[in-house]
Amino acid sequence: MSVAPLAEPEVLVPASEEEAIAAFGDGTGVTVLGGGTILMPELAAGRLKPEKTILLARAGLDEWRDEGGTTRIGAAVSVGALVDAPEPLASAARHVADYEVRSQGTLGGNLCAGPGRGFPRGDLQAPLIALDAYVRSAGAGGERTEPVERFLSTSPGNRLVVQVEFETRDRLGGWAALERPHAHSYTALSVAATISPSGSDLRVACSGAGPYAVRLRSVEQGGLDGDPGEALRDVQLTDDALASAWYRERMLPVLVGRVLSQLKEAG
Amino acid sequence: MSLIINGAEYELASPPLTSLLNVLREEVGLLSPKAGCQQGGCGTCTVLIDGEPRRACLTPLGAIEGAAITTVEGLGDPRNLSPVQAAFHEHYAAQCGFCTPGMMMAATGLLARRPDATRDDVLEALAGHFCRCTGYVKIVDAVLSAAAGRVDTTRPEPEAEPGEPSVVIPGSPA
Amino acid sequence: MKAVGARLPRYDGLQHVTGQSVYVDDVRVPDMLWAKALRSTVHSAEIKKLDVSKALRVPGVHAVVTHEDVPVNIVGHLAALGVPADEPLLAEHEVRYQGQPIAVVAAETEEIAQEAVNAIEISYEEREPFLDIRKAFDPDVPKVSPSGNLFVYEPYTERRVRKGDIDWAFEKADRIVQGVYRPAAIEHCPTETQVALVVPEATGRLVIYSCTQAMYFSMGVVATHLGVSLNDLKFVGGTVGGGFGGKVDTAAETISALLAIKAKRPVKWRWTREEEFLCSSVRATWHVEIADAVTKDGWILGRRTLTLHDAGAYTRFSSYGATKHAFHLGGAYTIPNLSFNAYVIWSNHVPTTAMRGFGVTSVSFAVELHMTRIATVLGIDPWELRLKNASRVGDTAPTRVVLKDPSAVPTIQAAAQAAGVELASEYRAMTNAPRKGKTLPRHLVDQLGAWRDNGGR
Repeated sequence: MSVAPLAEPEVLVPASEEEAIAAFGDGTGVTVLGGGTILMPELAAGRLKPEKTILLARAGLDEWRDEGGTTRIGAAVSVGALVDAPEPLASAARHVADYEVRSQGTLGGNLCAGPGRGFPRGDLQAPLIALDAYVRSAGAGGERTEPVERFLSTSPGNRLVVQVEFETRDRLGGWAALERPHAHSYTALSVAATISPSGSDLRVACSGAGPYAVRLRSVEQGGLDGDPGEALRDVQLTDDALASAWYRERMLPVLVGRVLSQLKEAG
Repeated sequence: MSLIINGAEYELASPPLTSLLNVLREEVGLLSPKAGCQQGGCGTCTVLIDGEPRRACLTPLGAIEGAAITTVEGLGDPRNLSPVQAAFHEHYAAQCGFCTPGMMMAATGLLARRPDATRDDVLEALAGHFCRCTGYVKIVDAVLSAAAGRVDTTRPEPEAEPGEPSVVIPGSPA
Repeated sequence: MKAVGARLPRYDGLQHVTGQSVYVDDVRVPDMLWAKALRSTVHSAEIKKLDVSKALRVPGVHAVVTHEDVPVNIVGHLAALGVPADEPLLAEHEVRYQGQPIAVVAAETEEIAQEAVNAIEISYEEREPFLDIRKAFDPDVPKVSPSGNLFVYEPYTERRVRKGDIDWAFEKADRIVQGVYRPAAIEHCPTETQVALVVPEATGRLVIYSCTQAMYFSMGVVATHLGVSLNDLKFVGGTVGGGFGGKVDTAAETISALLAIKAKRPVKWRWTREEEFLCSSVRATWHVEIADAVTKDGWILGRRTLTLHDAGAYTRFSSYGATKHAFHLGGAYTIPNLSFNAYVIWSNHVPTTAMRGFGVTSVSFAVELHMTRIATVLGIDPWELRLKNASRVGDTAPTRVVLKDPSAVPTIQAAAQAAGVELASEYRAMTNAPRKGKTLPRHLVDQLGAWRDNGGR
């Protein structure tokens, strides 16, 4: 026998949303495992020794409903399924890892993914910000629904994501990333944006320029014809295992420019 | 925890956070899935879970109670190879062979969901599978050949055919 | 020649496609222990304190080995070629590269072994590392070894190749074309990581399941470290999950053997992918400077080169690789006047090793780029430049070996054909026949001396 844990951690497999929320409680000492694509390598390397783990495989959090102008996607829906979601979520999902890994990784897991040893991992965070998505989560203080940006800024590690929702409008989406084919690694830098058909409401966000995705308000203020270099005002770039700050500084305006062009061409 | 592995029922004693890879290799003794990276990055551990190719190193046992698992051992044996296995042998798609089990399981999963897979489909399905020996060309050819049904599974060994070298350099002794 | 070009089945094809190929990690023996290593976290340091007592007290730990357990800790891999031994199997008073193994634990599970490794007390007094081999000749850089940073090929600090009269060539040249080429280090990244399993038998013989590419070589290295005879070891090799040159200087067997001896149980050491990337030997970085003395019509009269080869912290096979490199620096071309200097430089990087084409791929990279550079500078067609200078029967190599049947000319022509390039008729008609007429300028006559003296054979 080889890899038996030294102390048996408690592992729960809740069979419903209610059970999952109850098991999560206020989140203290709880590790939530969606698909396992981010957490299992940490366990294998001995960097994570969970005390109490909740496996979401059977909690029924994998529903996807489009009704009354709102799309609601359960936290356990796979990243792979999101290739059919509206842009820019679809493009971002399509570029996550490979078929097998994205079929197993979940929306909730990716949303909550904080930086791993310095480099950002939540590739779907920027598209969700661009879509003006809201997150329904459980944890201390009960359930709440809040904009993705707010969720990400208040320690997503302490909440159990149940569902993500956004309005199914006719928005146009754009997405561009530093792509390293076959690298199967997290995206070093990506920009996601949506704009209303009238062109009046531009939302732009960036993954890879910080521990979590950030909104690029300076780019939004400049509009489709604004200077992509303004994006640098909204970010604090650092070196990490994926790319240097130097490289990101040069590439962020390029990616922003590409996304703005995509939106102009589509509009 | 129970699983159906290559058609047989197993009761497993491994703790629920044990990866399926370790369950298969250490508890059950099926050695075809390999521990190439234990991070989901190389594809050598890929097996079919309910018919779908997934990384066994990323899958905790507790999340797949009752699932049907297929490994290479369940695809075929030397006298009765599956089309994918026969194609890999025929096309010299394995050199050191370490990536081969994962490649074949991914290919098998692909052809089950897309029997008339195109070259682009094959590349996408194998994109997470890492080979350091072959340069991938023969692997892709093998999968396309299996998809097209151009494989003879009744003949276990390709026959030796004396041939002409395909590029002759003037003045070469060949 | 019936086998060449024939479609023969791979002898291991069926076992590969049925999942029956046995790699070291697939060998199962009862009572097996797992190994984990304490590795240096710094590039260069004195080890001030090493205390493994807490590791030994972790329940489930059966043995810990340090340099004190190794009968012969420093063994030269190329001792047979006269290369001095310089690398300890397990670190003694210092570490010279990040990832260098210091102590290794054998325990019931990988997790217990890692916990024991974490319990080992170690303190380092860090030293400034030497990491940029271009600074090797600066007076005040840190010294990796007590003798400095340059390997000594007695009596020189570099491998030298000299031929003809290089000063004449540089004086006579119409142009001097210079270039610097720096092929980067490459990690072999075999799909199977380093792994070894050692099973002690009752007679004292050790059965060693190894992923080595070089069974007899590894057997000799293990026997020398352990101070035993070859017949005290039984090596079982077999299917290697990719090596590419990186599984020749394996040390996993020796360390696992020491643990197996101490624990009196089988021990398996399977490297993680992280260890493989961070700690296994790599193809070295090379720094190659070339200066060619050329005529305006594209004859290369002479070549000077300076090579810096990053051996990393210890020599391993670097002196051999750099020698091969130096001998080949003429490339596929005949250059009558040469001065090559190849330096093997120690640095605080992971020791470098062989990888496919060891020493010579760096030549191909540098020389071919340089040939194109010459063509660009002179305004000459790059194919014609190459065909003109390509070696022919009777030419001598940089080492004065007479070439009997060099394939440079037909290979370049075949490459042109494959690239869809139409050569001028004079160049299309060239063969590797001995030089005469237009292919024999005055400056190439003398280098044909040995061939001519032998009656043109």
